[in-house]
Amino acid sequence: MNESDISSQGNGTLIKVTDLCKTYDNGLELIHVLRDINLRVNPGEIVAVMGPSGSGKSTLLFILGIFLLPSSGSYFLGGEDVLRLDRNAQAEFRRNRVGFVFQSCDLLENSTVYENLEFPLIYAGVDRRDRPERISSALERVNLSHRMHHSSNRLSGGERQRVAVARALVNQPQVILADEPTGQLDRSHAHLVMDHFDEIVNDGKTSLVVVTHDPEIGARCTRTCLIRDGVLYDQ
Amino acid sequence: MRLNDLMRVSVRQVIRHRRRYMGVVLAIALGVAGFLNIVTMSREVKQNFNENLELIGGVNVIKVYFDKARSYQPQWFHQQTRAAFAHLPGVKTLTVTTAGYAHTDWKGQNYDFTAVAVDGAFWQVRNFWALTGRLFGYSAVTGRKRECVLGAELARKIFGTTDITGRTLQIDRDLFRVSGVLGGVTDSALANSAFFPITTAQDRISGDLLPDHLYLRCKTWDDVAKVAAEIPAIVKAHQSPEQLRVEVAWEALKRVQMLAWWIEFLIYLAISATFLLGGVGIWNVMMAAVTSRTREIGLKKAMGAEDRDIMAQFLSEAFCLSGVAALLGAGVGRIVMEILSYVIGCRPPEDLFFLGLALAFLFAVVIGVGAGLYPSLRASRMEVVTAIRYE
Repeated sequence: MNESDISSQGNGTLIKVTDLCKTYDNGLELIHVLRDINLRVNPGEIVAVMGPSGSGKSTLLFILGIFLLPSSGSYFLGGEDVLRLDRNAQAEFRRNRVGFVFQSCDLLENSTVYENLEFPLIYAGVDRRDRPERISSALERVNLSHRMHHSSNRLSGGERQRVAVARALVNQPQVILADEPTGQLDRSHAHLVMDHFDEIVNDGKTSLVVVTHDPEIGARCTRTCLIRDGVLYDQ
Repeated sequence: MRLNDLMRVSVRQVIRHRRRYMGVVLAIALGVAGFLNIVTMSREVKQNFNENLELIGGVNVIKVYFDKARSYQPQWFHQQTRAAFAHLPGVKTLTVTTAGYAHTDWKGQNYDFTAVAVDGAFWQVRNFWALTGRLFGYSAVTGRKRECVLGAELARKIFGTTDITGRTLQIDRDLFRVSGVLGGVTDSALANSAFFPITTAQDRISGDLLPDHLYLRCKTWDDVAKVAAEIPAIVKAHQSPEQLRVEVAWEALKRVQMLAWWIEFLIYLAISATFLLGGVGIWNVMMAAVTSRTREIGLKKAMGAEDRDIMAQFLSEAFCLSGVAALLGAGVGRIVMEILSYVIGCRPPEDLFFLGLALAFLFAVVIGVGAGLYPSLRASRMEVVTAIRYE
């Protein structure tokens, strides 16, 4: 473990992003999507990342989930230099340390709720006998135990989003990354999802980074960051 | 990803998308069924085909004889020689014959003709049948009965008709009962001959009627050349081979072999095309699946699936598809085999069926997995963000 690892763990920071940049070259010019992003997230925090469309919110979230690699900068999670991981280690990182909730409540079609939650466990190598309990526990946290064997196609929008939250939780990750998790929900369902998020971080170990447009959702988070033209302003 | 999870997930996918996969499964199943029947039934079909081709030219009958005209002393096939021929691999049946001359008087007319002395297997080996009446069998030979079969031309010459069953005819000094008239003969010499049980002929027809002609019917035309080549050595091992002649209808045999080769080639071509179509179908379906399931791939990668997990899943789906198709093809193949066995009237060895089954499974799986390889590779290399953002 190097110096920076020790320091990031020592001060209790879970996520430490330093001078992170993301640049695309479209052949004509360089497009700076993210510029010198610095972000720290502590365990038990819900950090909202807000900003207008195209400001780079989702790109930041994708980098935090290592779906994308930054052009420069550093990113430590729990003291580990995440950007040095090879392709397989990145997959391992995604299955064990982060959970992702997508904007469009992406569930596997033609599959049951159980099967949707089983996949992360399959990839994590969890024994088949232990899976029902883990899945049941994750569904209980979002009050959907009774829907365990229902087809995902037959769930309402709110239920689908809660299943997506349960799926992100099932491997007990350190960080949940949520991209507009309430974007397609009505007010009451949006608050229900946020209630679940509150419960999740109550353990003091898990953190949440939520990308949202909604100021009301932002107001419910521990901390709000604003991103504009690729620059992050911690408020 | 554990193997049992992989197979469970793949089987589930294949079942849930069964409509999409049905055409491909049927194509491969047809190929498997066809292949299975070619492997299992080809020898039986060939034998049956052989017998039918006898009507065209008797290409798998070998004529072996001692040339009397060039011999200073009478030569004939000894019992040991005949027994050795009968045990030769590739020989189905054999018959010995000889010929002399006989005459008959009917209504004041004198008729001279060739008297062919035959054993009970003669009709079967030469593929002759009764035009009217019946052809005498083994019991007539062993019982030295005074029966005869007339060639159709000879019957017409003497009686003006072929409907002469049961009539009695004085041949040389003895009375013979006409049991039937010979059919299936294209050779006019045979059509003008009379046929006698060899034992009776040796007793009652004048001349030394020693069995100097022998006809061997081979199991298939592929056996003909091999059997023909071994004949001189076999004769030499048991008796003098002097003036031995072996006649094979080489030209007709070549044509039949060529015909059969083309038929076999075309069947294999059709089966290969079916397999290939199945393979292309799997490739196409898997490519379409990769495209239509791009978001699913992205999601699974976001959940922590490694490239190899995605590749293994698509490959095992292709494997399941071809496996299901092979199973279906095996079932259809077995049914067709049973029907063919019933029609042909033979039973192929069971181990040949299982060998064919193993080969068919192997081909189907190789084709399925081979065709699924590129789409699986493409799916596994997909970038998470590209896949998640795919619309």
